Amino acid sequence: MTVSQYFRLINIHARMLLKVDANTFKLGFLWWFLEPLMWVGVFYVVFNLILDSRKGGDFMVFLTCGKFAFIWFSKTVIQASGSIVASKGLVGKINIPKSVWPMSAIQESLYRQSSVYLLLFVILAFFGIYPDITWLWLVPVLFVMYLMIVAVGLAGAYMVCVVRDFQKFITLGMTFLLFTSGIFWDVRDVGSEEKTQFLLAINPLAFMLDAHRQILMHDTAPAVLHLLLIGVGASILIGLMLLLMRRYNHYLALKVIT
Amino acid sequence: MTAGSDRKLMLELKHVSLDYHSSKGTFDHGVHHVLNDVSFKLYENETLGIIGRNGVGKTTSLRIMADILAPTRGDIITRRGATASLLTLGLGFRPDLSGRDNAMLSAVLQGASEREAIGFLEEIKGFSELGDSFEEPVKTYSSGMRSRLGFTTALMTHVDILLIDEVLSVGDAQFKAKAEQAMKERICGEQTVVFVSHSDSQVQNLCDRVIWLDKGSIAAQGDPETVIAQYRESIRTQTRANKKRLADVSTDLKA
Repeated sequence: MTVSQYFRLINIHARMLLKVDANTFKLGFLWWFLEPLMWVGVFYVVFNLILDSRKGGDFMVFLTCGKFAFIWFSKTVIQASGSIVASKGLVGKINIPKSVWPMSAIQESLYRQSSVYLLLFVILAFFGIYPDITWLWLVPVLFVMYLMIVAVGLAGAYMVCVVRDFQKFITLGMTFLLFTSGIFWDVRDVGSEEKTQFLLAINPLAFMLDAHRQILMHDTAPAVLHLLLIGVGASILIGLMLLLMRRYNHYLALKVIT
Repeated sequence: MTAGSDRKLMLELKHVSLDYHSSKGTFDHGVHHVLNDVSFKLYENETLGIIGRNGVGKTTSLRIMADILAPTRGDIITRRGATASLLTLGLGFRPDLSGRDNAMLSAVLQGASEREAIGFLEEIKGFSELGDSFEEPVKTYSSGMRSRLGFTTALMTHVDILLIDEVLSVGDAQFKAKAEQAMKERICGEQTVVFVSHSDSQVQNLCDRVIWLDKGSIAAQGDPETVIAQYRESIRTQTRANKKRLADVSTDLKA
């Protein structure tokens, strides 16, 4: 399969998955927007109204920036991780690179997420935050975020193929990241600068969510070197996973079928 | 269309075995032997039939020939540049997508470009006789309609070696005859085919040579009439043995 055939297949498969997604529920594609909005609503009620920990519209913007980006990561990684196993019937019938399945799920999510980000910009405008030249930093940030999703999605898909039990760990891992990546609490408001730097250094997702907020809410550029390091790390993992999937193409098929 | 050593070799399996670790660990300390030292040759333009009972490794052999699985031991030699594709029913059906979208997806997954796939769609719609249902979600289809869509989509594939797994048991009698005729036309042309079926008569009608697989090994191979007769005789012997065993058990129980 040539590289162009590979990407063509991913693109068509992703478009079909979008159609499936839109056809499965009564509200169809509205769920792309409703789901993140409902999450933000739930967090707002819990942390603002019940726990009274944060106040005002700022917190709504803070939550929206963090949660919208986090949902892209978590939903896509969960979807991509289970994608090869979920295509068991096809894996036993056709020999195509195994990475096609997670990459299609990731691509579908990318198409969906582009409209979710448009919604994010509308919400920001509603709260009086308008585009600024600093927002151009979103381009490299979103690109690195995409690389991170591809890397973790491919690794997850590979591991789930080999041992199905990993699927449980991945779901649990996303819940862990939900609490530890600074979605409803501010990584820059944890008591000390050292602790903030430590949290940003050990959790790339916390850094990425914070980078979204720095750009969109504070018109501040992210730490470029840190961003670059995450991008390079993710690219290396992607290369490694693609090599592994290619090398163990038949083994993965056997694991999925049996 | 007879096979012989003067014909060009398309594919050869040399002492091929396939084992896998069963998750339940019930077979031979967790190792399940699917194929055991299987060797055969496939020649250009020949139609080779594979028969055998359920679970003897027929589909696994096809998967190995289609390069979906790799053997644990042994070698597969394929003629340089030859493409092989496994045709089974229901390739990649997504129930929420229409018949048209599913046909499109199947065609693309089998190597067609988007433009080629779009070109196939009207042909698929016509042959499958789905009419307006072609635009409806596949989840609304009857099993016969699904089979018709699956068979027609599979028929559109063009490869050097066609590996066919039970695709002719589709739809009603009228469509079945039409499907068999279409497959016959394909087979009689310049097409190398490996054909797996439970229907002895289909194998006898379509194949030049037959391999009988039993418990992962080749029990016999040769001209269809002889091999099918041997296979039928073994089934009769086994049925008689089973009946006798049942009778013995019921006698024991009465005693």
